Amino acid sequence: MTFWWLVVILITLGAVGVALVWLIAKLSQIGATNTKRNVNQIIDAANNDVEHIFNDQFREELRNRGRLHFERIIGENAMFLQQDLRLTTSELNEYLKQELGKSLREEFAKYEQSITDAKQMAIDSIEKTKQTIEEQRAELSQKLNEEVEAEKQRSINRFEANMADIINHYVLAAIGQQIDLSDQMEYILSELEANKQAISEDIRHGA
Amino acid sequence: MARDGFSLPPQTISLGDLMRLKRELIALDDFIHQSELRSLGHALKTPPKASTALNNYAALNHLNFLHAEDRQKGIDFLDHLSVHAPRAHISFAIEPSAPTIRKIAGWFRDNIDPLLLLNTGIEPSIAVGFTLNTDNHYHDFSLRQHFSKQRDLLIEAIAKSDEAKRS
Repeated sequence: MTFWWLVVILITLGAVGVALVWLIAKLSQIGATNTKRNVNQIIDAANNDVEHIFNDQFREELRNRGRLHFERIIGENAMFLQQDLRLTTSELNEYLKQELGKSLREEFAKYEQSITDAKQMAIDSIEKTKQTIEEQRAELSQKLNEEVEAEKQRSINRFEANMADIINHYVLAAIGQQIDLSDQMEYILSELEANKQAISEDIRHGA
Repeated sequence: MARDGFSLPPQTISLGDLMRLKRELIALDDFIHQSELRSLGHALKTPPKASTALNNYAALNHLNFLHAEDRQKGIDFLDHLSVHAPRAHISFAIEPSAPTIRKIAGWFRDNIDPLLLLNTGIEPSIAVGFTLNTDNHYHDFSLRQHFSKQRDLLIEAIAKSDEAKRS
């Protein structure tokens, strides 16, 4: 029983739904037809009245408005473009500044490094030169000292070797012939006495 | 010829003195011989005047030059000495006086050889002292040589003097 009732209800509901769909479709078709007809009528009316609505004055007004609007848009766009351009230019300047600054800093860093290296090389070279000069100076000084010492020693040796002659020369120049042989007699006899043996052997035996 | 008993007078120092003595003795011999020939065998009773050296030579050697034999001995001995006498040559800075050289020659004859002939010379560079030449050796007793021997003392003295000047 229930089942059959249920089937009946479902069939009823289905029939009602189909009827509603058909009704809606029919109504819709009728509305579309009316709307299309209205639009066509409106278009036709507009076409008929276009010459009345868009006359020369209105057109001129529209043209002016359009010109003004266009000018305004152009102005705004120009302003925006100018702002963009300024912004772009500013950014470009900033970018260029940064890039150039970066490049310059890098170049300056390289340049500074090169200068530092060159300076260090120059300092090293100067140090080496200074060291070499110092070594040469020390060597020359040592050689000079050695030469001076050698010359001094040669002079001393010469003086010592010829000292007796030198002193004898000065004594001779000083005393000349003022010392008489009689004053030397004691010295002469003492020398002879001291060397008597040698003189005696020499004279007697020719030794 | 023997040398014993003969000696030279102190005046005869060098070879030159010896030759002069010899020439004088020969001249005396000639004179006496000619006198004897002229006086027909009579000998001279007084000898002619001779130099001090010749007189001393005769006195020292106990010779009588009136006798021909003694004269001949004297001449022969001087001849012998002129060839064989030991000789030495001594040099001084100045000309030595006669007493000085006689004193030095006396020392040589007393201590070295009584018949030594000592020639003298002059060498101004000696200054003080003397040099002695023999046939074989040269002895330098000059002040220069004395300085050379005392060189260490001289150097020390000069160094002290230098230090004293510096201080």
